[in-house]
Amino acid sequence: MTRPAAALLILLAWPASAAPSDTPTLPQLEAALAADPNDIRAANDYRRAVIQAGEYDRAIAFFKKLVADHPRAPYAWLNYGYAYVDKIPAAGSITQVILANNALTNFTKSIELERSWIALYTRGNSYLYWPRVFGRGPLAVADLEEAVAVSKKAPQKKVYVRAWIALGDAYWRTDQPDKAKAAWREALALFPGDPQLEARLARDGEELEKYIYDQLDPAKRVDTNLSPLWEGP
Amino acid sequence: MRAGRGAATVTVALLASAALAAGGDRPERWFEDVTARAGVAAKHTNRVFHNPYAEIMAGYTALGAAADVADYDGDGFEDLFVTDSAETGRNHLYRNNRDFTFTDVAREAGVADGNDAADASADALWLDYDNDGRPDLFVVRFGRSQLFHNLGGRGFRRRFRDVTREAGLDRHANAITAIAFDYDRDGDLDLFVGSYFQPVDVFNPSTPRFFPESFETANNGGGMTVWRNEGNGRFSDATRQAGFNVSGWSGWTLDLGHGDADNDGDDDLYVACDFGSDRFFVNNGDGTFADRTREAIGIDTKKGMNAEWGDFDGDGWLDIYVTNITDDYMREGNFLWHNNGDLTFTDVARETGTYDTGWGWGGKFLDYDNDGWLDLYVVNGWVSAGPESYVPDIFAMVTRPDVDFTDARNWPPMGGKSLSGYQKKRLFHSQGGQLFKDEAARHGLDSTRDGRGIAVADFDNDGRQDLFVANANAAPFLDRNIAPAGRWISFQMEGRRSNRDAVGARLRLTAAGRTRLRFVDGGNGFAGQSSRRVHFGLGSAAGPVKLEVSWPSGAKQTFEGPMPGHAYRIVEGETPRRQP
Repeated sequence: MTRPAAALLILLAWPASAAPSDTPTLPQLEAALAADPNDIRAANDYRRAVIQAGEYDRAIAFFKKLVADHPRAPYAWLNYGYAYVDKIPAAGSITQVILANNALTNFTKSIELERSWIALYTRGNSYLYWPRVFGRGPLAVADLEEAVAVSKKAPQKKVYVRAWIALGDAYWRTDQPDKAKAAWREALALFPGDPQLEARLARDGEELEKYIYDQLDPAKRVDTNLSPLWEGP
Repeated sequence: MRAGRGAATVTVALLASAALAAGGDRPERWFEDVTARAGVAAKHTNRVFHNPYAEIMAGYTALGAAADVADYDGDGFEDLFVTDSAETGRNHLYRNNRDFTFTDVAREAGVADGNDAADASADALWLDYDNDGRPDLFVVRFGRSQLFHNLGGRGFRRRFRDVTREAGLDRHANAITAIAFDYDRDGDLDLFVGSYFQPVDVFNPSTPRFFPESFETANNGGGMTVWRNEGNGRFSDATRQAGFNVSGWSGWTLDLGHGDADNDGDDDLYVACDFGSDRFFVNNGDGTFADRTREAIGIDTKKGMNAEWGDFDGDGWLDIYVTNITDDYMREGNFLWHNNGDLTFTDVARETGTYDTGWGWGGKFLDYDNDGWLDLYVVNGWVSAGPESYVPDIFAMVTRPDVDFTDARNWPPMGGKSLSGYQKKRLFHSQGGQLFKDEAARHGLDSTRDGRGIAVADFDNDGRQDLFVANANAAPFLDRNIAPAGRWISFQMEGRRSNRDAVGARLRLTAAGRTRLRFVDGGNGFAGQSSRRVHFGLGSAAGPVKLEVSWPSGAKQTFEGPMPGHAYRIVEGETPRRQP
């Protein structure tokens, strides 16, 4: 289903008299997604609303059913994974592991269906949160190199800088500091003035390690808002 | 040539002066490791189990290294009791020879036998339970804990007698921590004992289902027992009457800490729990406590291991330091609970730089440089073994669907792997009560042995606080404080209407316009008990000090005139006497 069609459905689902405000309710957003499970914008709106309401388990249950009903919808799988990620800051440290693991499974499903930039970046970035002992650094490098390659073939968007940043982080965490710096420098040429790139390039050694480590603190909410994909430059 | 020689001489001189400057710039070390020389280097050994779950249990019982300070023989010098946990391991009573050496007199004193096939020493506590002026000894054990009555006698002839059964304390529990304070203010010390596992026989369990039911909300631990001192040499279980366990709480207790959170004259209680939320209980002043966890600290899912109280920021309210697990696979962060003065606390660990110490264990406040601000020593690390990490094994279990955590058979054996091992100890130096800066490496206190308990005491009565650290499955450390002499004053408190140990007495000392709050604690901090003497660093304050004492009995006394550089003894109701 195309985006306008989904929007139309949403409008149909909200009779003016029933809607208390301009903000759609969770049931309304769920209805829209059920009608178009691959609608990444509707899914993003839904997860934003879920975070506001703290209804993480509801979202996980909803996406679980959605992918069961629509197993060939890559963005449904992707957002199912994000639903787990969204819950991580609200969970205890061991539950965080379980959530992160579940998220990875769903990101992989999404990639199996479509090797999109967003899915590759998302899974590659997720690998970075795992301790080194799990050996997921090379997997992060592979996904993020592919995400960067995908972005190079597409019209430039500001959001693509995220994959570059993460790729440098992945190189750093796999003990390839020169490649990390080179990636960030190349990215800075494409995205001049990006503060995250500049911050990394201004640091070295332990200071850089700590900076990256702090960025990957699971207690901090990961920005899973996908709207930069369709908003802004 | 002469010119050349001259140039060479100048060069040598310049190099020499540069080397001197470098040496001069190098920060001075203020602690000296005297462990071996002092005769206290006996290694602690973890218990090895011999049951079907032994390989699994080995990974979760690397505990029992404790150190506890008291002047048990009344000679004016602090002595040490140090535990072992091996089945044939002997506990140590190190008598202070007054020259910074010690003699192990545990066997002669009758307190060495703390381990056997059915019992493992986990901690200890000195307390004068019968108010006879002699510190008695409670040995905390997986199995049946022991109470030893101090019989007196001079010097090496001093003996103890096991009075566990007649005191009513002969009960099986997997006890891991104990503190003593007079919660009902009847003039004697009551005993609070925290237990880790439920009271199953961990040496020969009849079921495999005795492990924590959850990593974050487990309520199937050993909880806590309150032993009320009846004043006749006997204790009675007052847990329920005192208001504990009424809501069914039974956490995996690792540490207990008491302090007067609201300055109302009675002591409140912090319970640090593994696998679930810590608890905070407010003393109602009538012999009961109220569970104020939600309001005071909130419900957490962390792995609390230490409960230390102290007024780190000098605002007149006692704060609390709690260690948790912080590593790349689990970023819990420690708590530094700032007391808001209204029975609520705010965690300021990140802001103060005390958040990340690794897998934390004992943490104790002290003022090692006598600048008047409380510093903080924290020891860390779980199991330092082989190069392989146990983290993937535990994560594999955690991510298995519908796994029953209570069943020990589902937990992976640790084997020779490490988990949060080789972590450095931290010595946080207070930067004026707001921030802390780690100075452990500078002072040689950053060992990576698996630290457990800390005991702080001035073993040579020189006005500088020394450190004893008990390490699991390793030798301990005795670190002598050799910092440049700073101004200090200390007080040995003795209750009359209050409990004789004066546990709970609060001292407010004013010098050079600044007031500091300290108190007599009854064993706070994981697997350690520090000196009961109340030590104040005075910074640059040189003149007589003003001291206000709030005794546990409710009595208050104010003294003007005690002088820095001296140790005083204060008996409740009397004036301070300077010690020789």
